Amino acid sequence: MVVDKKIKVYVGMSGGVDSSLAAALLVEQGYEVTGVYMKNWTADLPGMKCPWADDLADAKRVAVQLGIDFKVFDFENEYKHKVVDYMIAEYKNGHTPNPDIMCNQEVKFKLFLDAALEDGADMIATGHYARVEHSDGDSPITSSSLLHAGLNQGPGALLNLDSRVSDEITSKSPLQTGVLKQAVDKNKDQTYFLYRVTGEAMSKTLFPVGELTKPQVRKMADERGLTTAVKKDSQGICFIGQIGIRDFLSLYVDAKPGEIIDKKSGKVLGRHDGAIFYTFGQRHGMDLGGGMPYYVVGKDMDKNEVYVTTDLNDDTLWKKTISLTDLHWINQAPVDGKYEIRVRHRAPLVWAVVSSGDNNTLKLSLNNPERAIAPGQSVVIYDGDTCLGGGIII
Amino acid sequence: MKCEIIYLDHAAATPMDARVLTAMQPYFIDNFYNPSSPYLPAVSVKRDYENAKHVIAQQIGGKIGEIIITAGATESINLAFSGVSGHVITSNVEHDSVLACAKHHENTVVAADNHGLVTVDVIKSAIKPDTQLVSIALANNELGTIQPIRDIAEVIKTERNNRLQLGDKTPIYLHCDASQGACQLDINVARLGFDMLTLNAGKIYGPKQVGLLWAASHVHLQPQIVGGGQENGIRSGTENVAGTIGFARALELVGEHRKYESKRLAKLRDILQTTLSDAFEYAIVSGHKKHRLAGHLHISFPGLDGERLIFLLEKRGVLVATGSACAANKGTRSHVLTAIGLGPEAADGSIRISLGHLSTPENTETAGKIMIEEIKNEYKRVGQ
Repeated sequence: MVVDKKIKVYVGMSGGVDSSLAAALLVEQGYEVTGVYMKNWTADLPGMKCPWADDLADAKRVAVQLGIDFKVFDFENEYKHKVVDYMIAEYKNGHTPNPDIMCNQEVKFKLFLDAALEDGADMIATGHYARVEHSDGDSPITSSSLLHAGLNQGPGALLNLDSRVSDEITSKSPLQTGVLKQAVDKNKDQTYFLYRVTGEAMSKTLFPVGELTKPQVRKMADERGLTTAVKKDSQGICFIGQIGIRDFLSLYVDAKPGEIIDKKSGKVLGRHDGAIFYTFGQRHGMDLGGGMPYYVVGKDMDKNEVYVTTDLNDDTLWKKTISLTDLHWINQAPVDGKYEIRVRHRAPLVWAVVSSGDNNTLKLSLNNPERAIAPGQSVVIYDGDTCLGGGIII
Repeated sequence: MKCEIIYLDHAAATPMDARVLTAMQPYFIDNFYNPSSPYLPAVSVKRDYENAKHVIAQQIGGKIGEIIITAGATESINLAFSGVSGHVITSNVEHDSVLACAKHHENTVVAADNHGLVTVDVIKSAIKPDTQLVSIALANNELGTIQPIRDIAEVIKTERNNRLQLGDKTPIYLHCDASQGACQLDINVARLGFDMLTLNAGKIYGPKQVGLLWAASHVHLQPQIVGGGQENGIRSGTENVAGTIGFARALELVGEHRKYESKRLAKLRDILQTTLSDAFEYAIVSGHKKHRLAGHLHISFPGLDGERLIFLLEKRGVLVATGSACAANKGTRSHVLTAIGLGPEAADGSIRISLGHLSTPENTETAGKIMIEEIKNEYKRVGQ
């Protein structure tokens, strides 16, 4: 079948193997592909070699190898404002935020998408391990059929979603939308980080490696001679680089030493170097004597106090009910009922009864208590393979 | 299919000469002793080390006691700046290591002209009563422009004499980083009139992470690495015996071939330059027309992306650079190209070609053909 005009896809290339293969697959599938390196903000540490230049070079080298156009989108200011400042502010509030979720919400699937469309793209793609289902009325269409159909006849109609999903959105004007689904590789699935994207963004997004497992991705990248095939996966938060979160936060937050208090006895056990560095449920890093490990079960940011316990069965450490705020749904909010949820990236899915609470909150009741449910972190809700969205733990 | 590599980046690194490796080899396994140990085999190693430094001293026309072996040129430059406390002068086309050192002092960064040349006049007018150091490279690493260092040395000498006559004891030194150009230019400290000289073995077919600072006896350096008091107490740490012996051998070898090699490379470079300039009429060659290192060719293709060109050429086995390797790594435009007023369009489309021992008439010609093909394709791709 002859396509009049090729669909233009802008693929975010980070210089890693996943986005490299994503770009290669899109080229093979017949899209008109442009590689884009998103220049995000990085901590400028005096005298240190710039950490992102090598990644940019790797991405560009693969683009040259594939014979595609390559651009750099500079999101440094926006990224600093939307992701980094948010993260620092959340830590200051005593929370443990997730900058990757914020990055996807604000940068990759908003700024990048808008900039790409503005620049002439029809769709964007990334190397995330996730799948998206673009719907054309009743039947979900795959990326290859989308390719042949051309965008004009593409997604436009509303989804015929699961009947359990409320229909509050149907009253709005018809939106293009896409459904976010878990990756085939359950071990690598990144939908936890993607739950705050919009259905509209998904309607214009492709995840070319979502159907593959990581070993397959490496093998296929190697078969295509991509120079990033053997590159190590990045670790941790990208903009912090090698220095670690503690050193990073110390640059921005005036952390003061304070007391570590045994929650049960109220006894002062020792000193910490700043309450912001401690996360709920975390095994305490400091030697408090006595041999038994201590777990953080609370913080008072005003008093700069950290509360710990040796009792692994402490009832604040285990939660059977979770309240979520700042809810976000990719398409429709779930109706009350039983769903699978994920409380952190790569955590196994667990069942919960979901019911709406007051003031736009959501209550989750678990069968079995979950450990270390930290305020500020996200819980993501699934209906089968479909990622519905989620919220922030109160 | 693996294609033959044509290496055109001798300004970044040079392959070690096999004769240098042969000279170094006995000092890894057989003669491994610590030169400071008291027994005879170690004493013998110490002697070999001293002999190597003696050879180095001969090659640069200095005295053995004035040479401090360092781990490369950057350390040497840092050490050179340690000797002064007052105002320093450098230029806006200097290497990052010089500019970074200058920042720790009150400094004046003079502007090179649009060929990358630092004229005597700008140095003269930048000298203040408390100026203690002028640091200018022998030749620019990106453009290959050779600086009028002997004339600059005269300016410093005059200033020093004036101060002496006035009874002003403020010292003023000339430091010259000759990392680039040592293969092709005179580096005799007496003839050129330096007070300090930096050399880098890794750029003259010797081992990497070996360099030196030569400092005339009247220069007072501050040790940057303290400990056992080696290198006259200026640079502690067990001597790099193999590296220094390799360094000496490498200097000897470039000394022998300097004149011949300069002529040979200039010829190859000129042919390549003509080939590329003829093929692309908008190509811009930067650097001084006459005072330029023989193997250097800095050329810009406006509208293209230099880094993309590197990856395209790399696929064909041709290895070139975008300006200085460090600047490319920072993902920012080269400060040298900005300094000489090259517009962003041209600067971004720049590559640096530097010929050397691995260059032959045949492979240089082949490289020229490949470059023309790839550059034409790129111009086609971007629609120009």
